[in-house]
Amino acid sequence: MGIFRELRYALRSYLRAPGFAAVAVLTLALGIGGATAIFSVVDGILLRPLPYPEASRLVKLGRTTATGSMDGAFSAADFLDVRREGTSLVHVAGYREDISDLTGVGEPVRVPGVQTTAGFFDALGVTPLAGRVYTAADEARGGMAVISEGLWDRQFGRRSDVVGSQIRVNGIPTTIVGVVSASVRHPIKADLWNLAPGAVPTSPIPSGGLADREVQYFAALARLATGATMGDANAQLQAIGERLGQQFPETNRGESFHVRPLAATLVTDVRAGLLLLLGAVACVLLIACANVAGLMLARGLARRRELAVRAAIGASRWQIARQLMVEGLVLAAAGGAAGLILASWGVDLLVALAPQNLPRLGDIQLDWRVAGVASLATTAVGLLAGLAPVVQSSRPQVNEDLKDGGRTGTSIRTRFRSGLVVAEVALALILMIGAGLMATSLARLRAVDPGFHTTSMAAVDLPVPQSRYDGPAQGRFYSEVLGRLQDSPVTARSALVFPLPLRGSGASAAFDIEGRPSTGRPAQPIAELNIVSPDFFQTMGLRLVRGRGLASTDVEGRPPVVIINERLAREFGSEDPVGRRINLGDWITVVGVVSDARRESLAAAPQPALYLPYQQFVLPYMSLVVRTDASEAAVASAVKSVVRELDPDLPVETVRTIDQIVEASTDQPRFRTTILLAFSFLAVLLAAVGVYGLMSFSVSQRTSEMGVRLALGASPGQVGRLVLRQGLALAGLGVALGLAAAAGGGRLVASLLFDTSATDPAIYAGLAALLLTVAALACYVPARRAMRVDPMRALRAD
Amino acid sequence: MNASAQPLIRLDGIKKVFYTDEVETHALAGIHLEIAQGEYIAIAGPSGCGKSTLLAILGLLDTPTDGTYMLNGHQVANLSLSERARVRNREIGFIFQSFNLIGDLTVFENVELPLIYRGMKAAERRERANAALERVGMAHRSKHLPSQLSGGQQQRVAVARAVAGQPSILLADEPTGNLDSKNGEAVMDLLRELHRAGATICMVTHDPRYAAHADRSVHLFDGRVVEENVGAGV
Ligand SMILES: Nc1ncnc2c1ncn2[C@@H]1O[C@H](COP(=O)(O)OP(=O)(O)OP(=O)(O)O)[C@@H](O)[C@H]1O
Ligand SMILES: [Mg+2]
Repeated sequence: MGIFRELRYALRSYLRAPGFAAVAVLTLALGIGGATAIFSVVDGILLRPLPYPEASRLVKLGRTTATGSMDGAFSAADFLDVRREGTSLVHVAGYREDISDLTGVGEPVRVPGVQTTAGFFDALGVTPLAGRVYTAADEARGGMAVISEGLWDRQFGRRSDVVGSQIRVNGIPTTIVGVVSASVRHPIKADLWNLAPGAVPTSPIPSGGLADREVQYFAALARLATGATMGDANAQLQAIGERLGQQFPETNRGESFHVRPLAATLVTDVRAGLLLLLGAVACVLLIACANVAGLMLARGLARRRELAVRAAIGASRWQIARQLMVEGLVLAAAGGAAGLILASWGVDLLVALAPQNLPRLGDIQLDWRVAGVASLATTAVGLLAGLAPVVQSSRPQVNEDLKDGGRTGTSIRTRFRSGLVVAEVALALILMIGAGLMATSLARLRAVDPGFHTTSMAAVDLPVPQSRYDGPAQGRFYSEVLGRLQDSPVTARSALVFPLPLRGSGASAAFDIEGRPSTGRPAQPIAELNIVSPDFFQTMGLRLVRGRGLASTDVEGRPPVVIINERLAREFGSEDPVGRRINLGDWITVVGVVSDARRESLAAAPQPALYLPYQQFVLPYMSLVVRTDASEAAVASAVKSVVRELDPDLPVETVRTIDQIVEASTDQPRFRTTILLAFSFLAVLLAAVGVYGLMSFSVSQRTSEMGVRLALGASPGQVGRLVLRQGLALAGLGVALGLAAAAGGGRLVASLLFDTSATDPAIYAGLAALLLTVAALACYVPARRAMRVDPMRALRAD
Repeated sequence: MNASAQPLIRLDGIKKVFYTDEVETHALAGIHLEIAQGEYIAIAGPSGCGKSTLLAILGLLDTPTDGTYMLNGHQVANLSLSERARVRNREIGFIFQSFNLIGDLTVFENVELPLIYRGMKAAERRERANAALERVGMAHRSKHLPSQLSGGQQQRVAVARAVAGQPSILLADEPTGNLDSKNGEAVMDLLRELHRAGATICMVTHDPRYAAHADRSVHLFDGRVVEENVGAGV
């Protein structure tokens, strides 16, 4: 019964002095909301189990190359050996992403697709929504596909007769055998999984069939066999690797195989960044807790006299504690509710901001467990701090509190609260420095000259299905497309290239230089492999440094030629590389040298690169680049009409600008930076609230002292500076601690930084100064109040 | 036991020592004092002689360093925290120099508060609080906040709060200290009236005129009782 009265009293007192309540609720809301939102994202990507039964037993197979690098790609023969001999694994399945052009259902559409071997769905343990999934019994039959729920909706209007219907996938007649739910999303959010026509997925480049150990081109997953552990599987795969290394030293020496939990392999790239964000969340939550604690302590101090009066008229400690707890819980409830609203906005915002290539982005939703933990943490801290006066009243000092109105004995708690503010400032500075480093790194990354034109450039992928285009047909198609496009004014300056730069994809090749002893596999020089049309260098803005460029006469049947970049030319030492030959399986003559350009990412320095003419080494994965001032739409319609003339069944993908591709290549650092900036802003805000709260409390406690000082002849300015100095001393201490901690922890983010030292003194100093300025501003209002104290009133008070 | 056969309060050898920064202050140095049921006693003495300390011990706000304290025949010097709160709530009514009303609560709620702590039913609480406010002439202000009242009015509300629970004894520490003489008189009249109606009162005062209101006045000096005289009484 008492609770309602206490609730009423609590509400009333907050309504009467809304400032305290507003700051406390805001602090709680920001802390709970921010922490929950970020943690939900981290959890969705990093921690939540995959949506498959017994997902922890799903493993991805990997290969460690002779040079020690990890790789997820298998050759046909290696895969078949591992599948046959790896008894600690079941349902070993191979798969590779593949474009899938669907025809036979209205307009041709291109959907993200995966070609898999028969055991794929057995391994994942997927139950279909409709029809069935193909299983081990369908091994090597081909011509079967499972589609996604999304495609079922979009393309087939969710008709149940889709099961059993005939379509063509890349021109091959295929039966849709079933539909799987949208939660099946491996290795990508595919719309179509089709069954490989052989024991392994078909190879995109010529290979030696099932006995081939040279060309590693597809991934593999499996399930741990009943009773087998990850350790068993690893030991077994390692033994297989060793045996193959002995048996086939040419291709397999020094290589070995391993398994890793499937979930872990999906997030390796983003793990460091996400953990950094999690650290940021922890900082903000700590600051919020410190702030709430500080606020509650201050309120407790200010109310010591009231609590003493209550004790004097016979309130037991429990009765007083209950009053304080009800008050605390009212704040916690309001803060928690506001926090949840912020959190759900925050999750939406983060998902919208997040780069689309973050794995498992679709799994992200507001995490109630975190919301609960964050609410509990802040509430518990608030309650504990709020109860401090009761805890202290276990010493019989009611009398003193009554006598002095709660003024003596405040120093120890004020000191504790000062400590909290120092910690807040330190944490805020750590976050600011983290954000500052990331922002600097990002700015420097964006300023990097990639070595090619980025403006007035459009690009579109133009892959063709191998099932309909053999090697010569590919070359004919691309040369037709290029010729027709170059005849049209909008696309006059067009070129073909594989691969488009800065998309993290691309092939490399080991080679030998003529006249030098071949060193054999691990120590052989390696270069990035590019396939281009002759106009590529001009179109992209690469300079010809020596020799000649590619010519339209460098075609099949003519002597094979290659252009190298300056970086690779250095491998030739003082000799002129032009006219020399290199061996890439066949001997090829170097005819020219072009300027360096970045391919893998803006952050990675240009590597040695080879440019082969597409009419000698065609791949069915060419992209088109166009130098033009026309819009993407104009380019798209030009490309579409040319492609439609040549192959009405071939869909054309979205045309993008090179600027957009460059921009997208920095998605992840930009996402991290944006979030960190938001967090450090939040942290600074909270720390400023902390400084402000402490200083205004201190001023209100010292009103009569200020009055005395003024009465004794201090100028208002001197009194104001007194407050400012006190506040800045605390902030300064926090800044010093923050600088030390950031310098110590900087190593942790070093791997995420581009061309930026984790201990860059300019960044540290600049942000420290900024934070001190903010702290000074936060002291300004209380300082003004101290200056305006009326000396007479102060002396009369008490 | 017969209530009139024993004093309401009996202090024996009460000592209180404060330890601060290695200085020992002997605020009370062996106090013997008896207060009978229905008595009105004034405690006087120079500043710093220990009056407030004595009152705090009488009101169980503080514990003596040594000595025994019998209240209503029970040893109360060394009760636990919660027992002390209970005794304070039932047996003792406080009136402070600086009123000490709770600013967030209305006049009525302030007066009702000790009854709430006692766990009394709402209807009875309302009746008693209103009766107490009637007695001090503040019933018409029961919805007001303390800040909306004059000092004299606040002290009358504080008196109402002290008597609402019908305690065994009223303890008042310079109840007129923050009031002008007219308001001071009014509060003293109120206390005298309560005494006439049977209340036991122990009041600390500097003012010999007010001390004269009491049945008996006790003079402290340096933590000891140096003089007791029977006052004019009423
Ligand atoms: N908490 C304390 N710590 C240390 N010394 C104290 C404390 N409270 C009181 N004293 C000391 O005990 C002595 C008695 O104080 P007390 O407050 O009882 O005096 P008083 O008679 O009420 O004086 P006044 O008339 O000025 O109110 C004084 O010397 C005082 O300094
Ligand atoms: Mg006193």
